[in-house]
Amino acid sequence: MIEEEKKEEVSMKKPFRLSFLICAVLILFVVMLAETVIVKIQSMNLRKEPKFYSPTVAVLRAGENLERLNAQEGWIQVRTSGGLVGWVHSSAVETKKFNLLAIDKGLKTQASASEVALASKGFNKQVEESYRAKHGEVSYVWVEKMLQMKVSAAEIEQFLKKGKLGEFGGAR
Amino acid sequence: MKKMKFWLLALLAFILGAILISCSAVQKGTDILAGAGKISEKDRAAIQKTSQALRSSFADITEEEEYYIGRAVAAMILSRYPVYNNDLINGYINTVGNAVVIYSDRPEIYAGYHFLVLDSDEVNALAAPGGFIFITRGILKRCKDEEMLASVLAHEVGHVCAKHGLQSIKKSRLVDAFRIIGQEAAKKYAPERLAELTGIFENVLGDIAEKLIERGYDRKYEYEADELSLMFAAKTGYNPNGLAIFLQTMISASSGESGKGWFKTHPSAEERIENVKGEIAALKKVPQTEVVRTERFRSTIKDLK
Repeated sequence: MIEEEKKEEVSMKKPFRLSFLICAVLILFVVMLAETVIVKIQSMNLRKEPKFYSPTVAVLRAGENLERLNAQEGWIQVRTSGGLVGWVHSSAVETKKFNLLAIDKGLKTQASASEVALASKGFNKQVEESYRAKHGEVSYVWVEKMLQMKVSAAEIEQFLKKGKLGEFGGAR
Repeated sequence: MKKMKFWLLALLAFILGAILISCSAVQKGTDILAGAGKISEKDRAAIQKTSQALRSSFADITEEEEYYIGRAVAAMILSRYPVYNNDLINGYINTVGNAVVIYSDRPEIYAGYHFLVLDSDEVNALAAPGGFIFITRGILKRCKDEEMLASVLAHEVGHVCAKHGLQSIKKSRLVDAFRIIGQEAAKKYAPERLAELTGIFENVLGDIAEKLIERGYDRKYEYEADELSLMFAAKTGYNPNGLAIFLQTMISASSGESGKGWFKTHPSAEERIENVKGEIAALKKVPQTEVVRTERFRSTIKDLK
């Protein structure tokens, strides 16, 4: 009787180990396939909900890596390296995916094509300074003033609400 | 059973190995890109080759590059037109504009969208790449309500979304620029490279200014911007007929001012109205004009000279 029980235990153990191993492999696959998105604009808000006038969770900067969790209608739910979770609009980020089957040639190719790889290369601040040194007649004063004209998310929300626009529109 | 276990372990080892290799490769790539360390001749050649092969058209211009091109184009526009320096009106234009932006195809760009009124009687609106949008006092005066204003701004936002400014850059300029950028692995350009790149930058600005300010975009781009305007305005909740009504006022006005601003750089209002009406008929939802919006429009621009 006792021996029989032992036998059963042994035969139960094996499939358990095997399934554990399969699970481990699967988890690793999932980890590898986890997509990273990278902020490609100067700075942006990580938002609590998938809409522009939702409260801000954090301010993100160009080049920041985010883990993609979910997506819905133009919005992507992400997790920051600091563990904060929120939503970003898809137009603000670039998806970075590493193809492991093309490690030798692919990675470099993928990296060079990326916005982030080219960050602060190309037509950049240095080129602008060189252009401005050559063209003293061109003034950037109002360009800088324009950049200071900002409309906050709260102002937009109020504006939409009062004007019966967006989700506050009744006649749609 | 043992065989299966062996294969599973082998698979596990392969995956772990692949992860390790990929990490080191990524590290190498980022080191190069950060300009942190010295790179070998082979690496430099590889980067040059791939960046040349991969960056070939306007679509490959990065957000940051678009921003720097846009700043310069905006500065050029501002050297031709004086600014209508009125905080209330400019603030209002920025709010209407950004309300439309969040319902557009490209709401997030490098440094956001910014709008400014130019102090000119000329009827004109201009969109530089990177979201610098200008409307003249003349065009603002023709707008009778917020729906019309939103339609005009949405048309300009459409040009930015569809990158029409960047599309007017001659391809040869980009080929040259991408070649130089590919050759320089360091973060700062060497003097001769910088001079070369600055020359190309000037030509790029010239290409955009010629289309944007002098001759106007291709007709197909104007029709596309009209269609985008209807879509963005309707999504925001504005009556898309605002654009058709605005264009109608342009017909009666055009006799005296043809050859200037919008009349010179855009297809005729009659042709555009026809196109716009067909598009509105195809819209699923057509929001109606709200009195509150017309009232706030009137009270804001009542002092416009």
